[in-house]
Amino acid sequence: MALPICLSIAAVLFALGLYGVISQTNLVMIMMGVELMLAAAMLNLVAFWRLLHPHTYTLQMFVLVVMTVMALEAAVGFALATQRFRSRGSVEVEEAADLKEEGV
Amino acid sequence: MNALQLFFLAGFGLAAVWFGWRVFRTHSMVRSAMSLLACMVALGAMFLVLQAEFLGVLQIMMMAAEMSIMAFFMMMFMMDPGGLGNMNMTHQQKPATALSAAVAALLLALLLSTNWPAPLAQVPTATQQNHDLGIELMTRSMMIFETAGTTILVAMIAAAATALVYPPQPD
Amino acid sequence: MENNNTLPTTLLVGLLFAGGVYALAVLEYWSVAGRLAWARPVRLALKLLAREEIKPRQRDAVFYETAPVLLLAAGTLAAAVLPWSASTPLLSLATGALFVNAAFAYAMVALVLGGWSSNGAYAMIGGWRFLGQLLAYSMPMVMALTATVMRAESMVPVQIVLSQRGLWNIVYQPVGFGLFYLAALALAFLPPFDLPVAAGELAGGAWADFTGARRLVLRLGRLSLVMSLAVTITVFYLGGWQGPGLPGVVWTLLKTLLVAASFFGVGHYVSRVRYDLLLEWSWKYATPAALLNILWVGILLLL
Repeated sequence: MALPICLSIAAVLFALGLYGVISQTNLVMIMMGVELMLAAAMLNLVAFWRLLHPHTYTLQMFVLVVMTVMALEAAVGFALATQRFRSRGSVEVEEAADLKEEGV
Repeated sequence: MNALQLFFLAGFGLAAVWFGWRVFRTHSMVRSAMSLLACMVALGAMFLVLQAEFLGVLQIMMMAAEMSIMAFFMMMFMMDPGGLGNMNMTHQQKPATALSAAVAALLLALLLSTNWPAPLAQVPTATQQNHDLGIELMTRSMMIFETAGTTILVAMIAAAATALVYPPQPD
Repeated sequence: MENNNTLPTTLLVGLLFAGGVYALAVLEYWSVAGRLAWARPVRLALKLLAREEIKPRQRDAVFYETAPVLLLAAGTLAAAVLPWSASTPLLSLATGALFVNAAFAYAMVALVLGGWSSNGAYAMIGGWRFLGQLLAYSMPMVMALTATVMRAESMVPVQIVLSQRGLWNIVYQPVGFGLFYLAALALAFLPPFDLPVAAGELAGGAWADFTGARRLVLRLGRLSLVMSLAVTITVFYLGGWQGPGLPGVVWTLLKTLLVAASFFGVGHYVSRVRYDLLLEWSWKYATPAALLNILWVGILLLL
């Protein structure tokens, strides 16, 4: 019973994150969607560790790696957003179409 | 897992989903970031219920700083004073809703139709877990863990280099 | 996770903590005015309760109410895992040292929320300043704690106290103690590092727009934060309840009050640090020093 509960919640969180990534126009909001999706992955890993393989610590280690990925994603995303804000004064992705090469 | 643990698991899970939903429903960016923080804390509480004590406490600790920084950058880019926010930052509403609903339905159908093996009742104690996780990190998974460390360093340097102000170059 | 939160222990720890906070309130005034006014905290509390509650217009209602309570919770939660004697931690967590850090992290969240929700420029700047301050103090703090955990080979606070049986950590790793002490001052935003609530430049900063009962809860939250930090230093660096003659609880209380008095005393003599200097010192000197401290403890452990 516990495993389906955890997995369903993770599935819904993942879908929410996906909704955010597609529907938001702001770069920082899109990053929040990505964080939600990664958090859903972490919940899955912890649930699998606890309920199926409590003696396999690779799963716990993988959660640590996902946490690292979350922090890195935030750092690099904010760096890009900062540079974008400096040069164009906005972090809206719809206004970032000028990054596309002309005529492609 | 006994009934009480299941109750808390489902309760924190529903809280996580509710706050995860609120992230994209508010009109204020700081409120979004704080909703995400609440969602992450609820997930950390779920980890604690699942007896992954180290991961739960770590999650609760790390997300406090990470989400506050997120709120800070939101403020910097969007100028969102307290209680005044009222803006629309969405596009492609219909495809987004349809796609995420389809993905959620697919995942839920898959996981509910799968015949999962019976969960194991016994887990190592929290002290034992800390010890074994340390051994795991320092032996079998050492390369992966060290790679993660190097990746953090590379990302820090790359982020700093990207965000710097460069003087205009003469052509 | 074995718990000994029986009613007598809970009462004892609660009373000790509340008494300590009261003593701290007296000590804080002593550091400003130079005399011990034992009735002043009660008078001040009654005055704040009776005062008219002025709320800023267009505040963020939810966060405005949450922030003071969150600060109080962050200040008191850590006390649940910190031992006053061998048998008094209310909650014996295997990850106690990490839990203490996790609880303290939410003091920052509380101030950021408080500063932002009251919808004033100075308050908001104060709140965000504390976020910057977090980037300065959290690294040295966590790394200094890591070194004490290395020595005890356990994250359980009771084990960390027991590991200092021969030699207290303040002697074993003086650099770590110094870093943790300074980081604790920054975390509790006490005078040399009181940037978020800087009275002179930000007109009260993050908690400027809180009046009446909310202000009282904020003051109480800050005092319990200082109290928790003083107990943390006692447990992690000053040998906890160990000492000759007196019962362990009394030793912990004495050491805690001494640490807290020194906290308040420092602010009497040092002027406020500029926040860019704070960040620069933290990343250029404190973080490398914390890493060297870990190396130092590692070498000592291998010898």
